[in-house]
Amino acid sequence: MQDEESLVRRAQQRDQEAFAQLYEANFDKIYRYVVLRIGNETEAEDMTQQVFLNALQSISSFRWKGAPFSAWLFRIAHNQVVDYLRKKTRQATESLDESLVISKSDPQLVVEQRLDIEQLMLATKQLTKAQQEVIALRFVSELSTAQVAKVMGKSGGAVKALQHSAIVALRKALSVG
Amino acid sequence: MKKSREFNDILDECLERLLVKGGTIEECLASYPELAAELEPLLQTAVAARKASVIQPRPEFRAKARYQLRSALQAMESRKSRPFFGWQRRWVTAVTVVLVLLLTGGGTVAAASNSMPDGTLYPVKLATEQVWLALTPSSLGKAKVLTKLADRRVVEIIYMANKGNAQQIEVITQRLDKHLVTLVRLAPVLKAPQVLAPSEGAEADRDVFVGANSQAELRIMIARYAIEHPAALRNMLEKSPDSVKPALRQAIAVSVAGYEDALMALD
Repeated sequence: MQDEESLVRRAQQRDQEAFAQLYEANFDKIYRYVVLRIGNETEAEDMTQQVFLNALQSISSFRWKGAPFSAWLFRIAHNQVVDYLRKKTRQATESLDESLVISKSDPQLVVEQRLDIEQLMLATKQLTKAQQEVIALRFVSELSTAQVAKVMGKSGGAVKALQHSAIVALRKALSVG
Repeated sequence: MKKSREFNDILDECLERLLVKGGTIEECLASYPELAAELEPLLQTAVAARKASVIQPRPEFRAKARYQLRSALQAMESRKSRPFFGWQRRWVTAVTVVLVLLLTGGGTVAAASNSMPDGTLYPVKLATEQVWLALTPSSLGKAKVLTKLADRRVVEIIYMANKGNAQQIEVITQRLDKHLVTLVRLAPVLKAPQVLAPSEGAEADRDVFVGANSQAELRIMIARYAIEHPAALRNMLEKSPDSVKPALRQAIAVSVAGYEDALMALD
């Protein structure tokens, strides 16, 4: 894959292949972030697709300010998640769909992982919105602290502090659940 | 305050080693033995949270999303490159079809209706379909036309799969998707009882006021295709060479999702 900056520049000039490469590089991460935040696979699929369609529409407005392109995509996803949760009258607490795909072929392992993930999703619901955000970005979508800081519009120090409190809260929620 | 900032930095450093560099909890604890008791449970929780990173999008969704993105990219490209007289070209095509119809007594158009994408009359077939759609005034009539066009596209995809032409399958799949997306968009209008124009064929002559019955017929037709089309494409997938399989999988994903959306929109 070419360096991100040149890909973005090409994509801004409507180079289809460049945008497709950016899409492939970020698709799974964005999906995981969304599905963990809203807890509903079908809605997460629609929202993930919308994130990329929105990005395609507005990529010309993207400006390099030291943040990676993925931070911009996560920002779009974050705004859509916030909007979705605001509109939703009750917090999404439904369990994961049976069809949720887990990248292992061993059925026993898949069942165990599904239980782990379901437990994790229920536990994260007990965290504050900011704590949920940092868990999803840092551990599920695997962004660095600096990238999380860009997405959340916080300093690196603030993200580290939030990360600490989020892990403590998650540990408590998991041990209670 | 300073102590807690230092701890946050150390925790972050350990997480980076654990998550990015493939380190272990034990290695990190060995680096900070004085903080081991505090760090260990936090790192274990982070590892537990990381288990969710095995979640992946469904393959069908991945295929559908990729296809929709490609369609959106192509739509943007065509909007950008469409010449000033683009709209006129479509009218020229329509007028040409009408002229051909008048001059040949309909023979060419009738022959074109059975042509396949590699045939010389195929552009006439596509143009005739546009005229057919444009001259069908009611939404219910248009929905029926679109459903029939979707059926034609699936027949063409199977034909091109037999020929081993992946590129043509992709192009026809785009047309299939367009028909099904348009069909879904029409669904809300169909929920109200409609009046069909007499020009819409024998059914309209018998039944000018068409409401629930006609919509039910449409639903039955779509439900039948929702089963038959993906099944026919899957059957073809088994027999086809590897070179066309990705294109066929995309066609299957589009037909499954398209009919599913159409049926949901009609309910």
